[in-house]
Amino acid sequence: MTAAQVHETISEETVRQISDELDEPDWLLETRLDALAALDDLEMPDVIRTPGRDWTNLHALDFEEFVDPLNAAEDKDQIGPDEVEVLPFAEAVAEREDLLREQFGSVIDPEENYLVALSTALFSTGTVVYVPENVDAEDVTIRTTQNSRSLFNYTLVVTEQSSSVTILERQDTGESVDGERYYSGVVEIAAGENSHVQYGSLQDLDEETYNYALKRGDAADYATVNWVDGNLGSRLTKSSVETNLDGEGSETKTVGAFFGHDDQHFDIAARVWHNTAHTTADLVTRGVLDDEARSVYEGVQDVGREAWDTNSYQRENTLMLSDESEADASPKLIINNHDTEASHSATVGQIDEEDMFYMTSRALGDETARNMLVEGFFVPVLEEIEVEELRDDLAARVRERLQ
Amino acid sequence: MATLQLNNLHAEVVEADEKILDGVDLTVESGEIHALMGPNGSGKSTTAKVIAGHPAYEVTEGEVLLELDDEEWGEELPEEKLTWNLLDLEPNERAALGVFLGFQYPAEIEGVTMVNFLRQALNAKLEEREELFEDEADAAEDEDDDAGYETSPMEGPADEGEVDVAEFQQILSEKMELLDIDEEFAQRYLNAGFSGGEKKQNEVLQAAILEPSIAVLDEIDSGLDIDRLQDVSDGINALRDEQGTGILQITHYQRILDYVEPDHVHVMLDGQIAKSGGPELAEKLEDEGYDWVRDEAYEAA
Repeated sequence: MTAAQVHETISEETVRQISDELDEPDWLLETRLDALAALDDLEMPDVIRTPGRDWTNLHALDFEEFVDPLNAAEDKDQIGPDEVEVLPFAEAVAEREDLLREQFGSVIDPEENYLVALSTALFSTGTVVYVPENVDAEDVTIRTTQNSRSLFNYTLVVTEQSSSVTILERQDTGESVDGERYYSGVVEIAAGENSHVQYGSLQDLDEETYNYALKRGDAADYATVNWVDGNLGSRLTKSSVETNLDGEGSETKTVGAFFGHDDQHFDIAARVWHNTAHTTADLVTRGVLDDEARSVYEGVQDVGREAWDTNSYQRENTLMLSDESEADASPKLIINNHDTEASHSATVGQIDEEDMFYMTSRALGDETARNMLVEGFFVPVLEEIEVEELRDDLAARVRERLQ
Repeated sequence: MATLQLNNLHAEVVEADEKILDGVDLTVESGEIHALMGPNGSGKSTTAKVIAGHPAYEVTEGEVLLELDDEEWGEELPEEKLTWNLLDLEPNERAALGVFLGFQYPAEIEGVTMVNFLRQALNAKLEEREELFEDEADAAEDEDDDAGYETSPMEGPADEGEVDVAEFQQILSEKMELLDIDEEFAQRYLNAGFSGGEKKQNEVLQAAILEPSIAVLDEIDSGLDIDRLQDVSDGINALRDEQGTGILQITHYQRILDYVEPDHVHVMLDGQIAKSGGPELAEKLEDEGYDWVRDEAYEAA
């Protein structure tokens, strides 16, 4: 277990300094210090194991090399319409302490695993989005451009009753830093009764960056939490998008897309817990791998004992463009209530030779034919994305990567 | 105008080492309609796929030639551009030269709309054709041109191609009307969720748009109801009558030959053309089956 290495380089003093710069109240400092202290005993998040192999080796991450929280630097845009509060974290501390105290760590336990605790102890930037009752808001955009060796980011979204909001959060890297980097992003969404949240993320970090992302939403009665998770950048990404369907009639749709090339590694998960009656989940992920890229996908639909009248669907498809790429997929369906309509499927495959022959027999060159097939492969996922800007961006990035 | 010539063609399945074509001789000229009949497993579909360049088959002997007639090209073609050995060419190059394969089981391509696919295919054909016919000095010059084009953002999107969206829409509408195909087809994904009959109709539509000099249609009539059979037949006749396409029609059934009258009928047995004749041959096959052809062939041998 190498997890203790960070603890040696990151002191209590560092954590106090970060907290002090954000002018945080004592309770938040205590939460950070507790997370720091807990590091010694916490495990890395689970990874998929197949016989003889851990697909993602998080223990090999060299945190001493990466983690440099006091020199964190970024460009950030945090924009939204007037009726919504879109607050940089320091402002949220100053203006919305009660809200923070109530919600911070309410969806994701700050000490859930080693990487979450590390993020809790060290995050120096973030955004709080607060949507008041009955407000209907679009176009909240958050853009984070990482300019330092490491960056720990935190996002909290709280929607009050019968409100709705669309949020688009992007991550990329700016000024080049020699060597490898680390980006960590934790996103908590507390979706109030009958509210509707669409949260889209487009991760386009440079390919020397290791990326840990955990996004989780709790949906109250009749609330909807919809996710779009696009992963294009990074050297290694460990990302999980999760929803607790806690309220009656609550719903979620998770749409995932990734496109790996060179030696990129994507460890992608989509998870949903049906905790009560009349809930619906739809998990759709598609990914393409070229060169020596690897992906591992885990999808979990967990239908609890009290989850009467559940509808839950999951499908994942990975398309490999080269013989050197590798993929594993494991869709899991756990049913503890018989009153459930559910399906789950995953496929991993290469481009169909008959499809290629069909297209080239119509005069299309190999490359054009292949590119049309890849773009077409993403279409079912793109069609699920309701935010036009995100859909167009993702389609454009896919096209770029094919050039 | 062109002539497709199969000379002593031998082919086998690459992975199975299984011999399928055992010396096929066949000539199809533009403007002619040929029917290729024969029992299952006789090598009809393999013939079609080998002509188009399917990677699963290896040609072990013989040749597939396409001879062009230079009238169509509007200028005199040099000697070396008149006869093409198709076996040396990629599937897309064969298509660009005017060879079309109508598939027995067309692929379903998700996420690619008909209109986008067909426009790109038409443009790819025009572009590839230009490359095949220009001589090497021109080719070098063209590459320079291309480089210049790409660096100039004011030229507009480089991938628009020779036939732009509006112009193509016009072409597509006309051809769809001719074939009695519903307009909404254009926005559907290529063959995805199409019925068997719709797929076959779509193959004929694609031929109508690409205007081949030789179209090989593999069981284009299988699984069609009578209305659709008529539409498809009208499409095939129009290809021949209006574009002078030569048709090699592979079929199990005499029925389509009432609508698309063949000039020549061939019977394939065990990887060879066992017998050729006029339209009356098809009728005899329908009535009497293939056994008598087999008997004749063995007697002759």
